[in-house]
Amino acid sequence: MSLLLEVEGVSFSYGSRSVLNSIDLRAGQGEFLALVGINGSGKSTLLDIVSGFRSPEAGSVLIGGRSQREWKRREIAQQVSHLPQAIHADLPFTAEQLVGMGRYPHTDRWFESEEDHRAIRAAMERTSCWTQRHRTFRSLSGGERQRVLLAACLAQNASALLLDEPSTFLDIEQQLHCFSVLREEAQSGKLCIAAMHDLNLALTYCTRLVVLADGVIAYDIRTAEAHDNKRWLGVFSKRLDMSTTPAGSPWVWYQ
Amino acid sequence: MSATQQLSFIARYSLTLSLMAFLGAAFFLPWVGAGPISISRVLHHQSPDYEILLQLRLSRTLLALVAGGALSLAGALFQAMLRDALATPYTLGISAGASLGAVAVIAAGWETFFGIPMTWIGALSGAFAVLVLVLGGAIQQRRISAFSLLLTGIAINSICAAFIIILSSFAGMSRSFSIARWLIGSIDATSYVSLAVLAAVVLLVSAMILTQARNWNLLAVGERWAASRGVRVGVLLTQGYILGSILAAAAIALTGPIGFVELIVPHLVRSRISPDHRLLMPCAFLLGGTLLALCDAVGRIIVPPAEIPAGAVLALIGGPYLVWVIRQRMPAEEI
Repeated sequence: MSLLLEVEGVSFSYGSRSVLNSIDLRAGQGEFLALVGINGSGKSTLLDIVSGFRSPEAGSVLIGGRSQREWKRREIAQQVSHLPQAIHADLPFTAEQLVGMGRYPHTDRWFESEEDHRAIRAAMERTSCWTQRHRTFRSLSGGERQRVLLAACLAQNASALLLDEPSTFLDIEQQLHCFSVLREEAQSGKLCIAAMHDLNLALTYCTRLVVLADGVIAYDIRTAEAHDNKRWLGVFSKRLDMSTTPAGSPWVWYQ
Repeated sequence: MSATQQLSFIARYSLTLSLMAFLGAAFFLPWVGAGPISISRVLHHQSPDYEILLQLRLSRTLLALVAGGALSLAGALFQAMLRDALATPYTLGISAGASLGAVAVIAAGWETFFGIPMTWIGALSGAFAVLVLVLGGAIQQRRISAFSLLLTGIAINSICAAFIIILSSFAGMSRSFSIARWLIGSIDATSYVSLAVLAAVVLLVSAMILTQARNWNLLAVGERWAASRGVRVGVLLTQGYILGSILAAAAIALTGPIGFVELIVPHLVRSRISPDHRLLMPCAFLLGGTLLALCDAVGRIIVPPAEIPAGAVLALIGGPYLVWVIRQRMPAEEI
Protein backbone atom coordinates (compact mmCIF):
# COMPACT_ATOMS: atom_id res chain seq x y z
CA MET A 1 0.00 0.00 0.00
CA SER A 2 1.54 3.29 -1.03
CA LEU A 3 0.96 6.29 1.24
CA LEU A 4 -1.22 8.93 -0.41
CA LEU A 5 -2.42 11.23 2.36
CA GLU A 6 -0.62 12.46 5.47
CA VAL A 7 -2.34 14.81 7.89
CA GLU A 8 0.16 16.06 10.47
CA GLY A 9 -0.81 17.98 13.61
CA VAL A 10 -3.77 19.72 11.97
CA SER A 11 -5.78 22.09 14.17
CA PHE A 12 -8.76 24.23 13.26
CA SER A 13 -11.28 26.37 15.10
CA TYR A 14 -14.34 28.41 14.21
CA GLY A 15 -13.74 31.61 16.17
CA SER A 16 -13.15 30.58 19.76
CA ARG A 17 -14.61 27.07 19.26
CA SER A 18 -11.86 24.56 18.64
CA VAL A 19 -13.00 21.77 16.30
CA LEU A 20 -9.83 19.88 15.43
CA ASN A 21 -6.90 19.67 17.79
CA SER A 22 -3.60 18.37 16.43
CA ILE A 23 -5.01 15.63 14.20
CA ASP A 24 -2.62 13.04 12.73
CA LEU A 25 -3.87 10.69 10.02
CA ARG A 26 -2.17 8.61 7.35
CA ALA A 27 -3.94 6.74 4.58
CA GLY A 28 -2.87 5.00 1.42
CA GLN A 29 -4.08 3.70 -1.90
CA GLY A 30 -6.65 0.93 -1.69
CA GLU A 31 -8.05 2.05 1.68
CA PHE A 32 -11.67 2.99 2.34
CA LEU A 33 -11.87 5.04 5.53
CA ALA A 34 -15.09 5.70 7.40
CA LEU A 35 -14.77 9.05 9.20
CA VAL A 36 -17.32 8.81 11.98
CA GLY A 37 -18.25 10.86 15.02
CA ILE A 38 -21.18 12.69 16.53
CA ASN A 39 -22.61 15.88 14.97
CA GLY A 40 -20.14 18.75 15.14
CA SER A 41 -17.15 16.48 15.76
CA GLY A 42 -15.25 18.01 12.82
CA LYS A 43 -15.68 15.37 10.10
CA SER A 44 -16.71 17.82 7.37
CA THR A 45 -14.08 20.35 8.51
CA LEU A 46 -11.35 17.72 8.23
CA LEU A 47 -12.53 16.84 4.69
CA ASP A 48 -12.60 20.57 3.81
CA ILE A 49 -9.00 20.90 5.00
CA VAL A 50 -7.80 17.83 3.09
CA SER A 51 -9.56 19.05 -0.07
CA GLY A 52 -7.87 22.45 0.32
CA PHE A 53 -11.10 24.43 0.77
CA ARG A 54 -10.05 25.47 4.28
CA SER A 55 -6.55 26.13 5.54
CA PRO A 56 -5.56 24.60 8.87
CA GLU A 57 -4.50 26.94 11.69
CA ALA A 58 -1.64 24.62 12.51
CA GLY A 59 -0.16 21.50 10.99
CA SER A 60 0.09 20.41 7.38
CA VAL A 61 -1.43 18.10 4.80
CA LEU A 62 0.75 16.11 2.43
CA ILE A 63 -0.65 14.60 -0.75
CA GLY A 64 1.57 12.04 -2.45
CA GLY A 65 4.41 13.07 -0.11
CA ARG A 66 4.27 16.73 -1.16
CA SER A 67 2.86 19.51 1.00
CA GLN A 68 -0.59 20.69 -0.08
CA ARG A 69 0.74 24.29 -0.14
CA GLU A 70 3.19 23.34 -2.90
CA TRP A 71 0.44 22.02 -5.16
CA LYS A 72 -1.48 24.34 -7.45
CA ARG A 73 -5.25 24.23 -6.85
CA ARG A 74 -5.80 22.52 -10.16
CA GLU A 75 -3.16 19.89 -9.39
CA ILE A 76 -4.93 19.18 -6.08
CA ALA A 77 -8.21 18.80 -8.00
CA GLN A 78 -6.55 16.20 -10.23
CA GLN A 79 -5.53 14.28 -7.10
CA VAL A 80 -8.49 14.86 -4.76
CA SER A 81 -12.21 15.09 -5.49
CA HIS A 82 -14.73 16.17 -2.89
CA LEU A 83 -18.41 15.32 -2.64
CA PRO A 84 -20.04 18.12 -0.63
CA GLN A 85 -22.84 17.40 1.85
CA ALA A 86 -25.30 19.32 -0.33
CA ILE A 87 -25.26 21.92 -3.06
CA HIS A 88 -27.85 24.55 -3.81
CA ALA A 89 -27.80 24.81 -7.61
CA ASP A 90 -30.42 27.47 -8.23
CA LEU A 91 -29.21 27.93 -11.80
CA PRO A 92 -30.65 25.30 -14.16
CA PHE A 93 -27.63 23.12 -14.93
CA THR A 94 -28.53 19.67 -16.24
CA ALA A 95 -27.29 16.54 -14.49
CA GLU A 96 -24.88 15.89 -17.38
CA GLN A 97 -23.45 19.43 -17.25
CA LEU A 98 -22.78 19.06 -13.52
CA VAL A 99 -21.02 15.72 -13.97
CA GLY A 100 -19.07 17.24 -16.89
CA MET A 101 -17.59 19.81 -14.48
CA GLY A 102 -15.65 16.94 -12.92
CA ARG A 103 -13.57 16.89 -16.11
CA TYR A 104 -12.53 20.56 -15.91
CA PRO A 105 -9.31 19.98 -13.93
CA HIS A 106 -8.06 17.59 -16.64
CA THR A 107 -8.31 19.74 -19.74
CA ASP A 108 -7.84 23.26 -21.07
CA ARG A 109 -10.23 22.63 -23.96
CA TRP A 110 -13.12 25.08 -24.22
CA PHE A 111 -15.63 22.23 -24.56
CA GLU A 112 -15.30 18.62 -23.41
CA SER A 113 -13.69 16.09 -25.75
CA GLU A 114 -15.11 12.73 -26.82
CA GLU A 115 -12.93 11.13 -24.15
CA ASP A 116 -14.44 13.43 -21.52
CA HIS A 117 -17.94 12.50 -22.68
CA ARG A 118 -17.09 8.82 -22.39
CA ALA A 119 -15.86 9.38 -18.81
CA ILE A 120 -19.04 11.35 -18.00
CA ARG A 121 -21.28 8.61 -19.37
CA ALA A 122 -19.36 5.84 -17.60
CA ALA A 123 -19.57 7.68 -14.27
CA MET A 124 -23.31 8.36 -14.67
CA GLU A 125 -24.01 4.78 -15.64
CA ARG A 126 -22.10 3.52 -12.60
CA THR A 127 -24.28 5.59 -10.28
CA SER A 128 -27.47 4.80 -12.25
CA CYS A 129 -28.27 8.39 -13.24
CA TRP A 130 -27.52 8.37 -17.00
CA THR A 131 -31.24 8.31 -17.84
CA GLN A 132 -31.67 11.60 -15.93
CA ARG A 133 -28.83 13.33 -17.78
CA HIS A 134 -31.03 15.93 -19.51
CA ARG A 135 -33.02 16.86 -16.41
CA THR A 136 -32.09 20.01 -14.49
CA PHE A 137 -30.36 19.26 -11.21
CA ARG A 138 -32.91 21.23 -9.19
CA SER A 139 -35.78 19.12 -10.59
CA LEU A 140 -34.23 15.88 -9.29
CA SER A 141 -35.18 14.21 -6.01
CA GLY A 142 -32.70 14.18 -3.12
CA GLY A 143 -31.51 10.68 -3.92
CA GLU A 144 -31.15 11.38 -7.64
CA ARG A 145 -29.14 14.51 -6.86
CA GLN A 146 -26.81 12.56 -4.61
CA ARG A 147 -26.15 10.03 -7.38
CA VAL A 148 -25.37 12.85 -9.84
CA LEU A 149 -22.92 14.42 -7.37
CA LEU A 150 -21.24 11.06 -6.83
CA ALA A 151 -20.96 10.63 -10.61
CA ALA A 152 -19.27 14.05 -10.80
CA CYS A 153 -16.70 12.86 -8.24
CA LEU A 154 -16.08 9.65 -10.18
CA ALA A 155 -15.75 11.55 -13.48
CA GLN A 156 -13.01 13.65 -11.87
CA ASN A 157 -10.90 10.48 -11.76
CA ALA A 158 -8.86 11.65 -8.77
CA SER A 159 -6.60 9.41 -6.65
CA ALA A 160 -8.48 10.29 -3.46
CA LEU A 161 -12.25 10.66 -3.06
CA LEU A 162 -13.50 12.67 -0.08
CA LEU A 163 -17.19 12.08 0.49
CA ASP A 164 -19.26 14.04 2.96
CA GLU A 165 -22.19 11.81 3.88
CA PRO A 166 -22.47 10.13 0.47
CA SER A 167 -25.53 8.06 1.40
CA THR A 168 -27.69 11.03 2.41
CA PHE A 169 -31.16 10.88 0.78
CA LEU A 170 -30.45 7.47 -0.80
CA ASP A 171 -32.87 4.58 -0.30
CA ILE A 172 -31.42 1.38 1.14
CA GLU A 173 -30.76 -0.29 -2.24
CA GLN A 174 -29.03 2.86 -3.51
CA GLN A 175 -26.99 3.17 -0.31
CA LEU A 176 -25.68 -0.35 -0.83
CA HIS A 177 -25.01 0.39 -4.50
CA CYS A 178 -23.21 3.65 -3.67
CA PHE A 179 -20.93 1.96 -1.13
CA SER A 180 -20.28 -0.96 -3.50
CA VAL A 181 -19.09 1.54 -6.12
CA LEU A 182 -16.86 3.27 -3.58
CA ARG A 183 -15.43 -0.08 -2.43
CA GLU A 184 -14.64 -0.91 -6.08
CA GLU A 185 -12.88 2.46 -6.39
CA ALA A 186 -10.77 1.64 -3.32
CA GLN A 187 -10.03 -1.85 -4.61
CA SER A 188 -8.86 -0.33 -7.90
CA GLY A 189 -6.15 1.54 -5.97
CA LYS A 190 -7.85 4.77 -4.93
CA LEU A 191 -8.26 6.19 -1.47
CA CYS A 192 -11.84 6.80 -0.32
CA ILE A 193 -12.67 8.71 2.86
CA ALA A 194 -16.37 8.97 3.71
CA ALA A 195 -17.73 11.08 6.57
CA MET A 196 -20.83 9.18 7.66
CA HIS A 197 -23.21 8.23 10.44
CA ASP A 198 -24.34 4.72 9.46
CA LEU A 199 -21.97 2.50 11.44
CA ASN A 200 -23.19 -0.72 9.83
CA LEU A 201 -22.51 0.57 6.33
CA ALA A 202 -19.07 1.58 7.57
CA LEU A 203 -18.41 -1.84 9.08
CA THR A 204 -19.67 -3.63 5.96
CA TYR A 205 -17.86 -1.70 3.25
CA CYS A 206 -14.95 0.27 4.74
CA THR A 207 -11.51 -0.98 5.66
CA ARG A 208 -10.83 1.45 8.53
CA LEU A 209 -12.89 3.29 11.13
CA VAL A 210 -11.57 6.69 12.16
CA VAL A 211 -13.60 7.98 15.12
CA LEU A 212 -13.43 11.71 15.83
CA ALA A 213 -14.33 12.91 19.32
CA ASP A 214 -13.49 16.10 21.24
CA GLY A 215 -11.36 17.40 18.38
CA VAL A 216 -9.03 14.41 18.22
CA ILE A 217 -8.97 10.98 16.61
CA ALA A 218 -10.25 8.91 19.52
CA TYR A 219 -10.01 5.57 17.70
CA ASP A 220 -8.40 4.45 14.46
CA ILE A 221 -9.15 0.76 13.97
CA ARG A 222 -9.47 -1.70 11.14
CA THR A 223 -13.11 -2.66 10.61
CA ALA A 224 -12.16 -6.33 10.73
CA GLU A 225 -10.98 -5.73 14.30
CA ALA A 226 -13.86 -3.47 15.36
CA HIS A 227 -15.49 -6.33 17.23
CA ASP A 228 -12.46 -6.96 19.43
CA ASN A 229 -12.76 -3.74 21.39
CA LYS A 230 -16.23 -2.24 21.62
CA ARG A 231 -15.22 0.83 23.63
CA TRP A 232 -15.33 3.03 20.49
CA LEU A 233 -19.13 2.56 20.43
CA GLY A 234 -19.38 4.62 23.63
CA VAL A 235 -18.43 7.73 21.65
CA PHE A 236 -21.85 7.59 19.94
CA SER A 237 -24.25 6.29 22.58
CA LYS A 238 -24.35 4.09 25.66
CA ARG A 239 -27.26 2.22 24.07
CA LEU A 240 -25.15 0.70 21.29
CA ASP A 241 -23.85 -2.83 21.29
CA MET A 242 -22.29 -5.09 18.72
CA SER A 243 -22.81 -8.64 17.58
CA THR A 244 -22.05 -10.68 14.47
CA THR A 245 -24.19 -11.29 11.39
CA PRO A 246 -24.74 -14.86 10.10
CA ALA A 247 -22.10 -14.00 7.48
CA GLY A 248 -19.62 -13.26 10.27
CA SER A 249 -19.50 -9.47 9.86
CA PRO A 250 -19.68 -7.16 12.89
CA TRP A 251 -23.10 -5.54 13.36
CA VAL A 252 -24.08 -2.60 15.55
CA TRP A 253 -27.50 -2.58 17.15
CA TYR A 254 -29.18 -0.40 19.75
CA GLN A 255 -31.17 -1.26 22.82
CA MET B 1 -24.50 12.92 -33.67
CA SER B 2 -22.03 12.53 -30.76
CA ALA B 3 -22.34 14.61 -27.59
CA THR B 4 -19.34 16.75 -28.60
CA GLN B 5 -20.72 17.43 -32.08
CA GLN B 6 -24.14 18.23 -30.61
CA LEU B 7 -22.62 20.75 -28.18
CA SER B 8 -20.55 22.31 -30.91
CA PHE B 9 -23.62 22.59 -33.17
CA ILE B 10 -25.73 24.27 -30.45
CA ALA B 11 -22.83 26.64 -29.67
CA ARG B 12 -22.32 27.64 -33.31
CA TYR B 13 -26.06 27.98 -33.97
CA SER B 14 -26.85 30.12 -30.92
CA LEU B 15 -23.75 32.30 -31.24
CA THR B 16 -24.42 32.92 -34.94
CA LEU B 17 -28.04 33.89 -34.30
CA SER B 18 -27.06 36.20 -31.42
CA LEU B 19 -24.36 37.83 -33.55
CA MET B 20 -26.81 38.31 -36.43
CA ALA B 21 -29.29 39.98 -34.06
CA PHE B 22 -26.52 42.27 -32.74
CA LEU B 23 -25.27 43.25 -36.19
CA GLY B 24 -28.84 43.58 -37.49
CA ALA B 25 -29.60 46.04 -34.68
CA ALA B 26 -26.43 48.02 -35.48
CA PHE B 27 -27.34 48.30 -39.17
CA PHE B 28 -31.10 48.82 -39.06
CA LEU B 29 -32.03 50.57 -35.79
CA PRO B 30 -30.21 53.86 -36.59
CA TRP B 31 -32.77 54.31 -39.40
CA VAL B 32 -35.64 54.10 -36.91
CA GLY B 33 -36.79 57.37 -35.33
CA ALA B 34 -39.42 60.07 -35.05
CA GLY B 35 -38.76 61.36 -38.54
CA PRO B 36 -37.88 59.42 -41.70
CA ILE B 37 -34.35 59.53 -43.08
CA SER B 38 -33.68 59.31 -46.81
CA ILE B 39 -30.97 56.80 -47.74
CA SER B 40 -30.06 58.75 -50.87
CA ARG B 41 -29.67 62.00 -48.89
CA VAL B 42 -27.42 60.19 -46.40
CA LEU B 43 -25.33 58.69 -49.20
CA HIS B 44 -24.88 62.18 -50.65
CA HIS B 45 -23.96 63.64 -47.23
CA GLN B 46 -26.96 66.01 -47.34
CA SER B 47 -28.22 67.82 -44.23
CA PRO B 48 -29.97 67.18 -41.97
CA ASP B 49 -30.45 63.43 -42.72
CA TYR B 50 -26.72 62.71 -42.80
CA GLU B 51 -26.07 64.44 -39.44
CA ILE B 52 -29.16 62.91 -37.79
CA LEU B 53 -28.07 59.42 -38.78
CA LEU B 54 -24.36 59.68 -38.04
CA GLN B 55 -24.18 62.15 -35.18
CA LEU B 56 -27.34 61.22 -33.34
CA ARG B 57 -28.93 57.88 -34.10
CA LEU B 58 -25.89 55.79 -35.00
CA SER B 59 -23.90 56.91 -31.95
CA ARG B 60 -26.78 56.25 -29.55
CA THR B 61 -27.50 52.87 -31.16
CA LEU B 62 -23.85 51.87 -30.79
CA LEU B 63 -23.88 53.18 -27.20
CA ALA B 64 -26.98 51.06 -26.46
CA LEU B 65 -25.35 47.98 -28.01
CA VAL B 66 -22.15 48.32 -26.00
CA ALA B 67 -23.80 49.42 -22.72
CA GLY B 68 -26.57 46.80 -22.98
CA GLY B 69 -24.00 44.10 -23.68
CA ALA B 70 -21.89 45.22 -20.72
CA LEU B 71 -24.84 45.33 -18.31
CA SER B 72 -26.17 41.98 -19.47
CA LEU B 73 -22.77 40.32 -19.13
CA ALA B 74 -22.30 41.90 -15.68
CA GLY B 75 -25.71 40.48 -14.72
CA ALA B 76 -24.78 36.98 -15.90
CA LEU B 77 -21.49 37.25 -13.98
CA PHE B 78 -23.05 38.39 -10.68
CA GLN B 79 -25.77 35.74 -11.02
CA ALA B 80 -23.06 33.06 -11.29
CA MET B 81 -21.10 34.51 -8.37
CA LEU B 82 -24.13 34.73 -6.08
CA ARG B 83 -25.79 31.56 -7.44
CA ASP B 84 -29.02 33.47 -7.88
CA ALA B 85 -30.79 34.11 -11.18
CA LEU B 86 -32.14 37.41 -9.81
CA ALA B 87 -28.78 38.94 -8.83
CA THR B 88 -27.64 42.07 -10.72
CA PRO B 89 -25.03 44.83 -10.33
CA TYR B 90 -27.73 46.52 -8.18
CA THR B 91 -27.69 43.60 -5.74
CA LEU B 92 -24.01 44.14 -4.98
CA GLY B 93 -24.28 47.91 -4.54
CA ILE B 94 -22.19 48.89 -7.59
CA SER B 95 -25.06 50.57 -9.42
CA ALA B 96 -26.10 52.34 -6.22
CA GLY B 97 -22.56 53.67 -5.72
CA ALA B 98 -22.36 54.87 -9.34
CA SER B 99 -25.79 56.49 -9.05
CA LEU B 100 -24.88 58.31 -5.84
CA GLY B 101 -21.68 59.63 -7.46
CA ALA B 102 -23.56 60.92 -10.51
CA VAL B 103 -26.40 62.38 -8.43
CA ALA B 104 -23.91 64.21 -6.20
CA VAL B 105 -22.37 65.79 -9.28
CA ILE B 106 -25.76 66.83 -10.71
CA ALA B 107 -26.86 68.21 -7.32
CA ALA B 108 -23.66 70.27 -7.10
CA GLY B 109 -24.30 71.68 -10.57
CA TRP B 110 -20.95 70.53 -12.03
CA GLU B 111 -21.34 69.85 -15.74
CA THR B 112 -18.01 69.18 -17.42
CA PHE B 113 -14.35 68.82 -16.49
CA PHE B 114 -11.96 69.42 -19.41
CA GLY B 115 -14.81 68.47 -21.76
CA ILE B 116 -15.66 65.23 -19.93
CA PRO B 117 -19.21 65.08 -18.52
CA MET B 118 -18.96 65.22 -14.74
CA THR B 119 -21.70 62.57 -14.37
CA TRP B 120 -19.22 60.06 -15.84
CA ILE B 121 -16.56 61.00 -13.34
CA GLY B 122 -19.11 60.98 -10.51
CA ALA B 123 -20.52 57.58 -11.47
CA LEU B 124 -17.08 55.99 -11.88
CA SER B 125 -15.86 57.49 -8.59
CA GLY B 126 -18.99 56.26 -6.77
CA ALA B 127 -18.63 52.73 -8.15
CA PHE B 128 -14.90 52.72 -7.32
CA ALA B 129 -15.60 53.89 -3.74
CA VAL B 130 -18.06 51.00 -3.27
CA LEU B 131 -15.52 48.58 -4.75
CA VAL B 132 -12.80 49.69 -2.32
CA LEU B 133 -15.24 49.62 0.60
CA VAL B 134 -16.50 46.10 -0.11
CA LEU B 135 -13.14 44.54 -0.96
CA GLY B 136 -11.45 46.35 1.96
CA GLY B 137 -14.03 44.86 4.33
CA ALA B 138 -13.61 41.41 2.84
CA ILE B 139 -9.81 41.57 3.07
CA GLN B 140 -10.02 42.61 6.73
CA GLN B 141 -12.10 39.50 7.41
CA ARG B 142 -9.38 37.52 5.52
CA ARG B 143 -12.06 35.73 3.55
CA ILE B 144 -14.30 36.78 0.70
CA SER B 145 -17.52 34.88 0.07
CA ALA B 146 -20.61 35.40 -2.05
CA PHE B 147 -22.66 35.70 1.13
CA SER B 148 -20.53 38.52 2.57
CA LEU B 149 -20.64 40.34 -0.80
CA LEU B 150 -24.42 40.04 -0.85
CA LEU B 151 -24.92 41.37 2.70
CA THR B 152 -22.52 44.25 2.08
CA GLY B 153 -24.34 45.03 -1.19
CA ILE B 154 -27.70 45.25 0.57
CA ALA B 155 -26.25 47.62 3.18
CA ILE B 156 -24.60 49.81 0.53
CA ASN B 157 -27.84 50.00 -1.49
CA SER B 158 -29.72 51.31 1.55
CA ILE B 159 -27.04 53.87 2.44
CA CYS B 160 -26.72 55.14 -1.15
CA ALA B 161 -30.51 55.34 -1.57
CA ALA B 162 -30.72 57.44 1.61
CA PHE B 163 -27.99 59.83 0.40
CA ILE B 164 -29.65 60.14 -3.04
CA ILE B 165 -32.93 61.18 -1.37
CA ILE B 166 -31.11 63.67 0.87
CA LEU B 167 -29.22 65.19 -2.10
CA SER B 168 -32.43 65.39 -4.18
CA SER B 169 -34.18 67.23 -1.34
CA PHE B 170 -31.53 69.94 -1.27
CA ALA B 171 -30.95 70.15 -5.03
CA GLY B 172 -33.76 72.50 -6.06
CA MET B 173 -36.51 71.89 -8.61
CA SER B 174 -34.61 71.76 -11.91
CA ARG B 175 -31.69 69.72 -10.58
CA SER B 176 -34.11 67.33 -8.86
CA PHE B 177 -35.72 66.78 -12.26
CA SER B 178 -32.30 66.12 -13.82
CA ILE B 179 -31.52 63.66 -11.02
CA ALA B 180 -34.84 61.83 -11.51
CA ARG B 181 -34.27 61.62 -15.27
CA TRP B 182 -30.72 60.35 -14.85
CA LEU B 183 -31.89 57.70 -12.38
CA ILE B 184 -34.37 56.28 -14.94
CA GLY B 185 -31.51 55.73 -17.38
CA SER B 186 -31.49 56.79 -20.99
CA ILE B 187 -29.44 56.52 -24.15
CA ASP B 188 -28.37 59.87 -25.56
CA ALA B 189 -26.19 60.72 -28.51
CA THR B 190 -22.56 60.75 -27.46
CA SER B 191 -19.23 61.55 -29.06
CA TYR B 192 -17.46 58.79 -30.94
CA VAL B 193 -14.37 59.34 -28.79
CA SER B 194 -16.38 58.55 -25.62
CA LEU B 195 -17.94 55.60 -27.40
CA ALA B 196 -14.54 54.26 -28.45
CA VAL B 197 -13.23 54.52 -24.88
CA LEU B 198 -16.32 52.72 -23.53
CA ALA B 199 -16.11 50.03 -26.23
CA ALA B 200 -12.40 49.44 -25.57
CA VAL B 201 -12.94 49.08 -21.80
CA VAL B 202 -16.01 46.86 -22.24
CA LEU B 203 -14.40 44.58 -24.82
CA LEU B 204 -11.21 44.14 -22.81
CA VAL B 205 -13.04 43.40 -19.54
CA SER B 206 -15.59 41.15 -21.30
CA ALA B 207 -12.77 39.11 -22.86
CA MET B 208 -11.18 38.69 -19.41
CA ILE B 209 -14.52 37.49 -18.00
CA LEU B 210 -15.19 35.11 -20.90
CA THR B 211 -11.83 33.38 -20.59
CA GLN B 212 -12.92 32.27 -17.09
CA ALA B 213 -16.29 30.92 -18.29
CA ARG B 214 -15.66 27.37 -17.03
CA ASN B 215 -14.79 28.72 -13.60
CA TRP B 216 -18.06 30.71 -13.48
CA ASN B 217 -19.86 27.41 -14.13
CA LEU B 218 -18.16 25.88 -11.10
CA LEU B 219 -18.79 28.90 -8.89
CA ALA B 220 -22.45 28.96 -9.94
CA VAL B 221 -22.83 25.51 -8.36
CA GLY B 222 -21.04 26.29 -5.10
CA GLU B 223 -17.84 27.54 -3.53
CA ARG B 224 -16.80 24.11 -2.17
CA TRP B 225 -17.69 22.58 -5.53
CA ALA B 226 -15.47 25.10 -7.32
CA ALA B 227 -12.61 24.76 -4.85
CA SER B 228 -12.46 20.99 -5.20
CA ARG B 229 -12.38 21.32 -8.98
CA GLY B 230 -9.31 23.52 -9.07
CA VAL B 231 -10.62 27.05 -8.50
CA ARG B 232 -9.07 29.53 -6.04
CA VAL B 233 -12.46 30.75 -4.88
CA GLY B 234 -11.39 33.92 -3.05
CA VAL B 235 -9.23 35.08 -5.97
CA LEU B 236 -11.95 34.31 -8.52
CA LEU B 237 -14.66 36.12 -6.52
CA THR B 238 -12.40 39.16 -6.17
CA GLN B 239 -11.63 39.14 -9.91
CA GLY B 240 -15.31 38.75 -10.76
CA TYR B 241 -16.34 41.55 -8.43
CA ILE B 242 -13.74 43.96 -9.85
CA LEU B 243 -14.38 43.07 -13.52
CA GLY B 244 -18.17 43.10 -13.14
CA SER B 245 -18.01 46.43 -11.33
CA ILE B 246 -15.90 48.00 -14.10
CA LEU B 247 -18.37 46.76 -16.74
CA ALA B 248 -21.43 48.01 -14.87
CA ALA B 249 -19.87 51.33 -13.84
CA ALA B 250 -18.59 52.10 -17.36
CA ALA B 251 -22.04 51.47 -18.84
CA ILE B 252 -23.95 53.29 -16.09
CA ALA B 253 -21.66 56.33 -16.35
CA LEU B 254 -22.87 56.88 -19.92
CA THR B 255 -26.47 55.73 -19.69
CA GLY B 256 -27.62 56.02 -16.08
CA PRO B 257 -28.68 53.01 -14.02
CA ILE B 258 -30.71 51.17 -16.65
CA GLY B 259 -32.33 48.17 -15.02
CA PHE B 260 -33.71 44.84 -16.11
CA VAL B 261 -31.47 44.22 -19.16
CA GLU B 262 -29.04 42.42 -16.83
CA LEU B 263 -31.95 40.36 -15.49
CA ILE B 264 -34.05 39.57 -18.56
CA VAL B 265 -31.37 38.64 -21.06
CA PRO B 266 -29.23 36.21 -19.00
CA HIS B 267 -32.43 34.56 -17.77
CA LEU B 268 -33.77 34.10 -21.31
CA VAL B 269 -30.45 32.79 -22.61
CA ARG B 270 -30.11 30.45 -19.62
CA SER B 271 -33.56 28.94 -20.15
CA ARG B 272 -33.66 28.98 -24.00
CA ILE B 273 -30.04 28.29 -24.99
CA SER B 274 -27.89 27.00 -22.11
CA PRO B 275 -26.96 27.72 -18.48
CA ASP B 276 -23.36 26.88 -19.44
CA HIS B 277 -21.44 30.17 -19.13
CA ARG B 278 -19.25 29.30 -22.14
CA LEU B 279 -22.37 29.91 -24.24
CA LEU B 280 -24.46 31.98 -21.87
CA MET B 281 -21.98 34.83 -21.50
CA PRO B 282 -21.24 35.64 -25.17
CA CYS B 283 -24.92 35.24 -26.10
CA ALA B 284 -26.01 37.40 -23.14
CA PHE B 285 -23.59 40.14 -24.24
CA LEU B 286 -24.79 40.15 -27.85
CA LEU B 287 -28.51 39.88 -27.04
CA GLY B 288 -28.28 42.35 -24.12
CA GLY B 289 -26.91 44.98 -26.48
CA THR B 290 -29.59 44.15 -29.03
CA LEU B 291 -32.41 44.46 -26.47
CA LEU B 292 -31.25 47.84 -25.14
CA ALA B 293 -30.82 49.22 -28.68
CA LEU B 294 -34.29 47.93 -29.55
CA CYS B 295 -35.85 49.53 -26.45
CA ASP B 296 -34.12 52.81 -27.29
CA ALA B 297 -35.54 52.66 -30.84
CA VAL B 298 -39.02 51.87 -29.51
CA GLY B 299 -38.73 54.83 -27.11
CA ARG B 300 -37.92 57.09 -30.10
CA ILE B 301 -40.99 56.18 -32.15
CA ILE B 302 -43.74 55.35 -29.67
CA VAL B 303 -44.95 58.93 -28.94
CA PRO B 304 -43.18 61.20 -31.47
CA PRO B 305 -41.81 63.81 -31.29
CA ALA B 306 -41.33 63.09 -27.56
CA GLU B 307 -38.93 60.33 -26.54
CA ILE B 308 -39.39 57.80 -23.78
CA PRO B 309 -36.05 56.95 -22.11
CA ALA B 310 -34.80 53.43 -22.86
CA GLY B 311 -34.70 52.77 -19.10
CA ALA B 312 -38.45 53.42 -18.86
CA VAL B 313 -39.22 51.16 -21.87
CA LEU B 314 -37.12 48.39 -20.32
CA ALA B 315 -38.80 48.83 -16.95
CA LEU B 316 -42.22 48.50 -18.59
CA ILE B 317 -41.12 45.21 -20.18
CA GLY B 318 -38.91 44.07 -17.31
CA GLY B 319 -41.36 44.60 -14.43
CA PRO B 320 -44.00 42.14 -15.71
CA TYR B 321 -41.22 39.80 -16.84
CA LEU B 322 -39.75 39.74 -13.33
CA VAL B 323 -43.14 38.81 -11.87
CA TRP B 324 -43.38 36.02 -14.45
CA VAL B 325 -39.88 34.76 -13.58
CA ILE B 326 -40.73 34.65 -9.88
CA ARG B 327 -43.93 32.72 -10.61
CA GLN B 328 -41.91 30.28 -12.73
CA ARG B 329 -39.32 29.78 -9.96
CA MET B 330 -41.78 28.72 -7.26
CA PRO B 331 -42.66 25.20 -8.43
CA ALA B 332 -39.01 24.22 -8.99
CA GLU B 333 -37.99 25.37 -5.51
CA GLU B 334 -40.80 23.49 -3.85
CA ILE B 335 -39.63 20.15 -5.29
